[in-house]
Amino acid sequence: MRGLIEKDIRLTLIRKQTIVVFIAMALFMGVSMNGSFVVAYLTMLAMMIAIGTLSYDELDNGYAFLMTLPIDKKTYVKEKYLFTLGVSVIAWCIGAVLFCIVRVVQGNGGTAFAELPELMAIIPAMYMSGCILIPLQLKYGAEKSRIALFIIFGLIAVIIFGSTTLLSSMNIPVEGISASLDSISTAVVIPVLCALCIAAAFVSYLISTKIMNKKEF
Amino acid sequence: MVKVDNLVKNYGDFHLEVSLEIPDGTVTGIVGKNGAGKSTTIKSILGLISPDQGSITINGKEASQLTGTDKASIGVALSDSGFSQYLRVEDVTCILKKLYPTFDETFFRDNCKAQGLPFNKKISEFSTGMKAKLRVLVAMSHRASLLIMDEPTAGLDVEARNDILDLLRGYLLEDEKRSILITSHISSDLEGICDDIYLIHNGKVILHEETDAVLSNYALLKMDEQAYSRLDKSYILKEKKDSFGYSCFTNEKQFYAENYPDIVIENGNIDDLILMMTGGN
Repeated sequence: MRGLIEKDIRLTLIRKQTIVVFIAMALFMGVSMNGSFVVAYLTMLAMMIAIGTLSYDELDNGYAFLMTLPIDKKTYVKEKYLFTLGVSVIAWCIGAVLFCIVRVVQGNGGTAFAELPELMAIIPAMYMSGCILIPLQLKYGAEKSRIALFIIFGLIAVIIFGSTTLLSSMNIPVEGISASLDSISTAVVIPVLCALCIAAAFVSYLISTKIMNKKEF
Repeated sequence: MVKVDNLVKNYGDFHLEVSLEIPDGTVTGIVGKNGAGKSTTIKSILGLISPDQGSITINGKEASQLTGTDKASIGVALSDSGFSQYLRVEDVTCILKKLYPTFDETFFRDNCKAQGLPFNKKISEFSTGMKAKLRVLVAMSHRASLLIMDEPTAGLDVEARNDILDLLRGYLLEDEKRSILITSHISSDLEGICDDIYLIHNGKVILHEETDAVLSNYALLKMDEQAYSRLDKSYILKEKKDSFGYSCFTNEKQFYAENYPDIVIENGNIDDLILMMTGGN
């Protein structure tokens, strides 16, 4: 596992110029947009970069050699989930620091620290999309998984739009439901999101392991 | 010891069915034409593909059940796969250090230097020979007791091939219990290093012989039609008619040398073995 993490860190650092550009852009956005978007932006990009290591592994028939190393398929999958989580948390921390610095410089330091607990919801929310991406990439590869992802998000959009329309036609106040969801306190939202995220990660991990076990190299 | 017992794998029309053994302390070569089933056999042994039937054991343990610790005693060099080409040898060194408790960093670094492999250049910028040398050194770097090499010398010039074979010879000399399973298209590579040879054709082992026996007992007999008609064909394995007469492949060179002094007898080699045993009549 340690060797795989070392490999993924080194593969990620290959893109260090891109990472620096992302952080610079995040800093610029933090100053100009005056909001917490920078935290979500950095977390999402970091997660995409971490999952991108799967593409490096897949390239030039790399899986065949990786599976001859002293690891099993289960360990390989586990490492991908842990690495993605670790990188996302680090990116969230960098984003949060940038967010706080910008706010302190602008003289609103106090509000930034008050917003931080709420911003923690970004990690489980983003990681859940990672839990969709990892098995997709393992199953279909880097190229085809993008198409599959578009289809899945398209379906989610259709389901949300369809259910909203259905609820409205049934005279159920959608705005009311939305407002009551907004009013739920952070202390409730974050544990619920974390629980959902853990459940999603577990199911996703089982699916990914099954995909890897079926794979031949 | 590696034991492959009635391994069966089907890919559409292709049917592989082989059995072989690699005892401790031996170098075993698998030869055969392209598509004969050499790589499929290697991949099955490594658990990269699942056999349809049969069993493969490495040191008494099913290949599919090998743990990370078991795999640490196997060094692998595949012809078409390795560490990401975006990495540098320096990166690979750090990764290997964390992957293998027995990783010999001094050996790896010294040999990379000796083979002219730069530490801070991406693998993608290496020549074919440099990439092949790196794959072999990676396989040897953690003192594995079994090396499995799929075409380690393919596409290399004579010098690079000799360098790799020298590395393998040096590796064997360090510990007599070490074994190597190697596939190659280049017969002279195998003749110089293997203790025994398996010839695979159309998914089947059609010959298993000690290399010394191939080189000393096998021969290619060349004769005209008249000499062919009076030839005792009891020890002829394969024969082929060509524009000059007949070429016959035998595993009893001495018999024909003593009884037919007028025919041309060429010492057998693995190329002849492949050509005659997988072609001819």
